Amino acid sequence: MSNWIAKPLIAVLAAAGSLAAAPRFESDILPILRAKCAGCHGEKGAQAGLSVIRRDALLKGGKSGAAVAPGKPNDSLLLSMTATGKMPMAGPKLTAAELGTLRQWIEEGALDTGETAGSVRPMVAQRDVETILSAKCWVCHGRREQRAGLDLRTHASMRKGGKSGPAVIPGDADGSLLVKRIAAQQMPPPNLQEQYSVRGLTDDELAKVKQWIADGARPDDERPIEVSAATDTAITAKDRAFWAFQAPQRAPLPNPSAHPVDAFLRAKLPAAEPQALLRRAYFDLTGLPPTPEQIAQYDNNYERLLDQLLASPRYGERWARHWLDAVGYADSEGGNNSDLARKNAWRYRDYVIRAFEKNKPFDRFLTEQIAGDELFDHRSVKQLTPEHMDLLAATGFWRMAPDGTNSTEQNFIPERMDVIAGQLEILGSAVMGVSLGCARCHDHKYDPLPTRDYYRLVATVTPAFDPYSWLPGDFPCGGVGAKCDENNTRTFVAKATPEYEAVAAHNAPIDARIAEMEKAISALNKTDASFTKDKNALNEKIRKEREQRKLPPLIRALFDLGPQPPPTRILLRGDAASAGPLVAPGPPSIMSAGLPEYRPVQLEHSSGRRLALAQWLTHPNHPLTARVMVNRIWQHHFGTGLVSTPGNFGRMGAAPENQPLLDWLATEFVRTGWDVKAMHRLIMTSAAYRQQAGENGYPLRRIDAESIRDTILQLAGRLDTKPFGAPDAIKQMPDGEVITESRRRSVYVTHKRTRPISLLETFDQPFMNPNCVQRGQSVVSSQALHLMNSDLVRENARFMAGRIADAVGDRPDAQIERAYLLALARKPTADELRAAREAMERSIPEWTRKLETEKPAEPVVSRARWLALATICHTLMNSAEFLYLD
Amino acid sequence: MPNRRDFFSRISDGLMGTALASLLADDVRAEQRLHDLSPKKPHHAPKAKAIIQLFQNGGPSQVDLFDYKPALEKHAGQAPSRDLASEIRAVRETGGLMPSRYKFARHGQSGVEISEALPHLAKVADEITVVRSMHTTHLAHEAALFMMHGGRILPTRPSLGSWIAYGLGSENRNLPAYVVLDDPKGPPINFIQNWQSGWLPAVYQGTRVRSEGSPILNLHAKAEDPAGIVDLSRSLLHRMDAAHRDRHPGNVELQARIANYELAARMQSEATDAFDLSKESEATKEAYGLNDERTASYGKRCLMARRLVERGVRLVQIYIEQQIWDNHNKIWEGLEYACGKTDRPAAALVRDLKERGLLDSTLVVWGGEFGRMPISQAPGANAGRDHGPSGFSIWMAGGGVKRGFTHGATDEIGYRAADDKVSVHDFHATVLHLLGMNHRNLTFQRDGRHERITDEFPARVVQEILA
Repeated sequence: MSNWIAKPLIAVLAAAGSLAAAPRFESDILPILRAKCAGCHGEKGAQAGLSVIRRDALLKGGKSGAAVAPGKPNDSLLLSMTATGKMPMAGPKLTAAELGTLRQWIEEGALDTGETAGSVRPMVAQRDVETILSAKCWVCHGRREQRAGLDLRTHASMRKGGKSGPAVIPGDADGSLLVKRIAAQQMPPPNLQEQYSVRGLTDDELAKVKQWIADGARPDDERPIEVSAATDTAITAKDRAFWAFQAPQRAPLPNPSAHPVDAFLRAKLPAAEPQALLRRAYFDLTGLPPTPEQIAQYDNNYERLLDQLLASPRYGERWARHWLDAVGYADSEGGNNSDLARKNAWRYRDYVIRAFEKNKPFDRFLTEQIAGDELFDHRSVKQLTPEHMDLLAATGFWRMAPDGTNSTEQNFIPERMDVIAGQLEILGSAVMGVSLGCARCHDHKYDPLPTRDYYRLVATVTPAFDPYSWLPGDFPCGGVGAKCDENNTRTFVAKATPEYEAVAAHNAPIDARIAEMEKAISALNKTDASFTKDKNALNEKIRKEREQRKLPPLIRALFDLGPQPPPTRILLRGDAASAGPLVAPGPPSIMSAGLPEYRPVQLEHSSGRRLALAQWLTHPNHPLTARVMVNRIWQHHFGTGLVSTPGNFGRMGAAPENQPLLDWLATEFVRTGWDVKAMHRLIMTSAAYRQQAGENGYPLRRIDAESIRDTILQLAGRLDTKPFGAPDAIKQMPDGEVITESRRRSVYVTHKRTRPISLLETFDQPFMNPNCVQRGQSVVSSQALHLMNSDLVRENARFMAGRIADAVGDRPDAQIERAYLLALARKPTADELRAAREAMERSIPEWTRKLETEKPAEPVVSRARWLALATICHTLMNSAEFLYLD
Repeated sequence: MPNRRDFFSRISDGLMGTALASLLADDVRAEQRLHDLSPKKPHHAPKAKAIIQLFQNGGPSQVDLFDYKPALEKHAGQAPSRDLASEIRAVRETGGLMPSRYKFARHGQSGVEISEALPHLAKVADEITVVRSMHTTHLAHEAALFMMHGGRILPTRPSLGSWIAYGLGSENRNLPAYVVLDDPKGPPINFIQNWQSGWLPAVYQGTRVRSEGSPILNLHAKAEDPAGIVDLSRSLLHRMDAAHRDRHPGNVELQARIANYELAARMQSEATDAFDLSKESEATKEAYGLNDERTASYGKRCLMARRLVERGVRLVQIYIEQQIWDNHNKIWEGLEYACGKTDRPAAALVRDLKERGLLDSTLVVWGGEFGRMPISQAPGANAGRDHGPSGFSIWMAGGGVKRGFTHGATDEIGYRAADDKVSVHDFHATVLHLLGMNHRNLTFQRDGRHERITDEFPARVVQEILA
């Protein structure tokens, strides 16, 4: 019973191959390689560290890894590069016959004359062993823990070993403790594997470890790849010439006396009606329509209106929502079905709202999100101020991507790398305007983003996102997983605060009582008849005590996990098990021309890698940061950005519709100190913005999902403007509809990935996976069904009718006029008034009949009039004009 | 700024395709397409026009249902090899090789081997093809489900059903193209992500239809208005919207909105009829098990699926109560429950489709996200089996698939697919092929890439199972 598992088919293939003349290295392979490859990989030089003229050099390989894996043609780069025609880069490709010979030679074991099948083993480098140990051992013998005094991260520390002696004795595999413990299946300990998301070593892995030690446990002589934009040969001059990778150039205004926007972009239609512009400005800046009172107060002083709206707390909520889309904010983890709550994510949401409200300069805003924890020494500060708390909350930016690693089944290295990839995708699409995902597995096909640069970017965050020392979820950890306490959680427990002291003081006596009861339980006699009853009673008491405990102030944040960050390697084909060369941290080379060299900022308490990244991003000459942000602002004022692919300014993105304007705005943005509100004012005072809606004019567009819900509540007089704090609850109804009973703005309602509020989802609220830089705008029948039939809309139409009657009495014309003002920010025309009045008059008898049969005891006539008005309000809420900004 | 053509990158429900197409005829370049549900031409002559996927969440145990392994009896209790052990999650609970308790027999004229746990399926053995050499790449439900539905172990990709709706559209103007019937006892793992359209336009996502209560969300108001009110409101709305549209001549989106209000009204009647099982005969209800508490819920959904396919719905996906095939412990009790709930309705569906002449044009697919291990998990009488992604079984019927056929094999113990292996990508390519599409040509342009369900993975149509 030895063949339970299909063994590698080498033997079978070798047997088949022996029918042909078996190729050997010197006689059959070397001539091919000399003719086709040795020009670049031979005596004269070994490009990419690879020489092909000796077999052991092929086995060792170059910087991309082993070129030949005996018996494994599919793992042999020599074959895949030549068979796909990627190599030779110059000169004739290999013929089919030559490729066949190569393949056969590798399949049969990469033999030379006189050797027998199986005698040639693949080379094992220290980095191959590191890949295995990092995934399976470092969690306990690595950066944050060195159990039994053992650290398996470096060559020296393995030689040194732990309290049982050296782990590795070069040349003596079977005598090395590392091998002994693994072979005996004592390590990784079976009883801890599940909890720590670690699996035992496979035969193949153990064989590699043994071979490396047997061959002398030679250290790799490897230095991380550093890249300087000035000398980087991987990026061509042509690549660098692409418009998006050059710093924006401020062209002189074509017409110095015109509004700067209009100097570049001529409005084609005349100015919009004041009331249409008023409604447009209100929705754009606050996500809500003007009230009839605000309409009445408006004196056509448009610039003062803009100042008022920009100063409104509603502005912060509205524009935070756009940013939260871009960074993929959600109140749940995603990544797996349990979709656990992110109970502390809201502090980041509140931080973003405050930042917009206070008009925090965008460069500062970005710096705080990328490296707020590096801006002060959070480990040793005596007292955390609200500003400190904000700096930590800002790093919640890095905790937005879907993250299923709270499940032990999805907490292996590849899944952790997925979380990092999600975050980098967010950083790329929301901040840098490039799509980075492709470069994770292969050099970007269209943009000059080599895989090398992807992993250099990974290295900027690995001191905090350590894949081998991964922190469990929010404290207290809701899922399952490794040890989770105040020192081991990705939520920062704000200890140096009076609030923490107060909570600790509150909890101390409770904890003492719990400890006492736990002691009492263990003292119970199991043979007593009352044992179960007594135990249950005590447990119930403990449970009640636990309910009284308070949580300390918690901030979902990112911070370095201490010194000695893990090595970051290029993962070949994105595969965590295929480690390539080491890289040093750094930003993409293509965007770095003309910027100061990236150097981690020297800090006592942190690696400074992210702070350096933030400084690089916010440098005034950065080619993309300012452009991407002004494009985003433009997009939310006009529906489409000047670059219509806001997350991709690269070759596959859209070309800018008006690059001189985009660049002028970008430079103006930097010149004004990255002043977001000034940018709104600039754009919104242009004739381009103020023109009429229509083809070639201001683009007609639908208000977004949150604006629809918030507006319906406002029309009903029920919008609760209480800001900030933990998100309001949602619930799922028996028919599957997800609703909330909250009357606060939608930005304050729980955004659970797997339970989107049905109304919002129907109107294109994005599914954050990981983020959304541009919402869809669908027109589907479920929208009609929702607006016609959902309780939310119908109930609020009745509220709206009631408030109208309260405000203007029972004269139908006055009621209809106010309904129009509320819903459409304008008075009805005479025709519209007549049509609505007729509909109302005709619906009164319908309602009367219904009420007389159903509720004869109640006042029928006045209720029928109210319901008839509600029908008008409901119809207005369904109308195109209500949903679209003219 | 949006113009008429930009609307094509937006979306609409479909059902207004013709009207829009004529409206836009002058504006449309050949390569642009309207994202709607109007019927599309397949790449080649299809065998199947519709597909019913009976998704078996949790991972049905192949060695207890379809894949008889005498070696498990011979070596019962022996420890697994190191390689197998390295794929085990719950190391502490693992025992040795565990044979099935069920007897296997060959059924029908074709002799397809099925265990006694599925007696009803055995009676239609001559209609089905069992594939015993499926394999997938991840052993967690979430990831394996993403793989099975979207072709990668990660979320965000369009589901197979969305690709089908995208490729073929719908043949019914008043119903969704892609209907999902989930179990009232609980949604599947990954929930709506199982039928999401990912980066395909939202119009191609599955429409979740409930088999209890109102089938479509907000199809009707909870408290109905008097009929006269509905009419008054509709005509007032039409008037408002028409006036608004006239102020924006040529705006396609506004046009689409008006059409969608009309569709919504039509759906209110047609959808109600499609889901009304009271119109079925007593014999049919009995056959699907509607009169037996154990089978009634699943039977109802199988019968709904047939009614939908009759009406031109392209794809119906039926999900099962959470994941009843996830038998980590007490597997014999678990299998009895899962088989008891599903065996009879699934077999009845195959037979009913055949009797109505629909089986040739309807592909039925039965299977989960992976299989289970041949070794035991949990001790003694509580024994179960852990997830087994390396080899598992599914069956298919109708729609151009061989009748009474078994394809592929696992190794000696049923752990890993060994002969004629079928990957999930092969499976996707084969399903699309049967529906008249080539997986390499069914592409969607995104970020400059031609995306497809099989991505860059190798995938082949499993010719051996085609009739």
